[in-house]
Amino acid sequence: MIDRRTALAGIVTMFGATLFAPIARAASAQATPINDGPPSVGVFTAEQRALVTALSDRVIPTTDTPGAVAAGVPYFMEKLLADWALPEDKAPILAGLEAIEARSQKDYGAAAAAATPEQQDTLLTLAMNDQLPGGADFFDKFRQLVITGYYTSEIGITQEREYLPVPGQYDGAFLYSNVNKVYSS
Amino acid sequence: MAATDQFDAIVIGSGVSGGWAAKELTEKGLRVLMLDRGVMVEHGEDYTYDGKAPFEIPARDMMPKGLVESDYFIAKHGYISPGNQKFYNNDRLNPYAYDEGEKFYWIRPGAVGGKSLIWGRWSFRWSPEDFEANKRENVGIDWPIRYDDLAPWYSYVEKYAGVSGSRENLPQLPDSEFQPPMPMNIAEKWVKERLEATSPGRKLIHTRLSNMTEDKPEQGRSKCQFRSQCGRGCSFGAYFSTQAVTLPAARATGRLTLRSDAVVSNLEYDPKSKRVTGVRVVDTKTNQAEVIPARLVFLCASAMASTQILMNSRSDGSGRSHFNTSGTLGRYVMDHIFRVGVSGEIPGMTEYIEYGRRPGGVYIPRFRNVGGEEGVGFRRGYGYQGSARRDPAPPQGFGAAMKQGMRQYGPWKFGMGAFGECLPYEDNHVSLHPDKVDRFGIPLMRFDVTFRDNEIRMMDDALVEGEKMLKAAGLTNVTSGRSEHVPGDAIHEMGGARMGADPRQSVLNKWSQAHDAPNLFVTDGAQMASVSCVNPSLTFMALTARAADHAVKQLKAGTI
Repeated sequence: MIDRRTALAGIVTMFGATLFAPIARAASAQATPINDGPPSVGVFTAEQRALVTALSDRVIPTTDTPGAVAAGVPYFMEKLLADWALPEDKAPILAGLEAIEARSQKDYGAAAAAATPEQQDTLLTLAMNDQLPGGADFFDKFRQLVITGYYTSEIGITQEREYLPVPGQYDGAFLYSNVNKVYSS
Repeated sequence: MAATDQFDAIVIGSGVSGGWAAKELTEKGLRVLMLDRGVMVEHGEDYTYDGKAPFEIPARDMMPKGLVESDYFIAKHGYISPGNQKFYNNDRLNPYAYDEGEKFYWIRPGAVGGKSLIWGRWSFRWSPEDFEANKRENVGIDWPIRYDDLAPWYSYVEKYAGVSGSRENLPQLPDSEFQPPMPMNIAEKWVKERLEATSPGRKLIHTRLSNMTEDKPEQGRSKCQFRSQCGRGCSFGAYFSTQAVTLPAARATGRLTLRSDAVVSNLEYDPKSKRVTGVRVVDTKTNQAEVIPARLVFLCASAMASTQILMNSRSDGSGRSHFNTSGTLGRYVMDHIFRVGVSGEIPGMTEYIEYGRRPGGVYIPRFRNVGGEEGVGFRRGYGYQGSARRDPAPPQGFGAAMKQGMRQYGPWKFGMGAFGECLPYEDNHVSLHPDKVDRFGIPLMRFDVTFRDNEIRMMDDALVEGEKMLKAAGLTNVTSGRSEHVPGDAIHEMGGARMGADPRQSVLNKWSQAHDAPNLFVTDGAQMASVSCVNPSLTFMALTARAADHAVKQLKAGTI
């Protein structure tokens, strides 16, 4: 508890000033379970899903370790938007995908998912630089979803990063050159 | 066998205090029933996500936002995640009330073991000053005990629980019976050296933590394995919890009965004999209520829940609690004030990282008004809890270059947060809601608690001094900030049934024993007459062990 609290205090995380309803409505006498199965609602169309898959791999491509698609990031993203996020979190993602698709049709005469990797990088760069409608907002959120999905996946945690299930000891002056990787938390 | 013969004592609550009460009372020969409103959690086997990586935990160990909004809108302030969710209270099913503009976060556990499963484990003795300041300043009520009354009990519980830390000989922070401290990392040592040189009289020390650095084979417990996943439950038993420490001891006597899913609505009382005669329990699964006869009761349900049970113990038709002769029940509620943070970067040492995930960190003990008022604009003081660490380098752009860049670490950063003492105010109080009840028919708790000028000025000072200290020590990019100070947010809520020498001004005597019922002891945070600025759980342990010793002596002498 305190470790996360200390970390939070250190970076001065601000909680929103939302006033919570002090008395909740007890609609059901059962606790609501976490939905950990497949996405409970479809978030993407088939075309959008193909584009999310293509762009995820441009954000974190396969290099000497597997990339975002191998790590299941597109599925994670749909699951997260379906069941872990709030409905309004979908809007900037869907709007960004639409803007990228429109630009791809205009510039390349092809669906963005079918564009070349270089063209897809160009489209992502346009978004990053806010040269598409809602581009920067989409890029920040989309990249954050890819990063979150990737570095919490088995590949991200155990292959891209180094994971110590039971470190057994603590060394507060350990040489990075001994591992040349980031340790997963 | 008649029901009255089944148990010599009933312990209500199984957290830090309840666990100690059960251990001490059973070891002294009593047959004990321990009740908890939460679900059963057995050591090891019920730690579902112990040892699991985030990809093996539902929702990658991130709370779904919708679930937070519907069911865990208070627990979200208490570091809940899917990996520890079952240890937490469901806020939708267990509501409470406060008036608009007087927010209170009542962050509660929902499992056997209470907050001992999910606590921060920072463990400090309170100081002689902490027990004397009320009297000297004529604030609240004088504590009926002094540090020396508690010192042997601190030693007793520390030796058994296992507390790691370093001896510092500080008057404002007495040393415990320590196991060796957890090491500081290279950046924390750097900060310590420079901070102590540039801010004379101030110290940066190892934290004191109920995570062990030495094995206790006689208890079947191992030292900390540096996983820092304590909140999911630790099968190594490396940190103090009811499950790992006090429950096995109590069970080993063969005299403990533990019942989960049993919420206590009130205590039954006989005004003629001035004794508690029974405990009314509601089975949370069936809603069936029963009264269990009681000879001796240890009320350890948590500060606010114990106060609620006491307030709800009243004659039919009368609003007044049997235990409120003094009129102070539900008053003088406190929490530590926090949400002031200071952080900065530490230059250099970039060839080094941390191996292993160390719980805890470092501590800057109180330096304000130590040994007398200094005229700094407020009474009492605060301490800082912090740590230094390196996070992965932040992402830049996208693609292979970003991926490669994120294999590096950013600079060492040091961050710390202040925890300050809140004074006891009579009108910081809780009451029973006049017409709203929960699903068991128990009147809702209603909070009317706010921080006052003394606390706010203290946090102003903590912000300024923290920034000054880190800048003077040579940290760069030092930033500070604060967010809303909400009572309850520190999860150190205390008071409501304070102890005192005078029955006309306090609910409990110096033995944590009710003035209005000698066979009732309240040994959790409810009894506190002030709150120090350091974490309270270790003091609850010591007070509980002391009260249990006294209760059994009185029982054997036939005086209760």
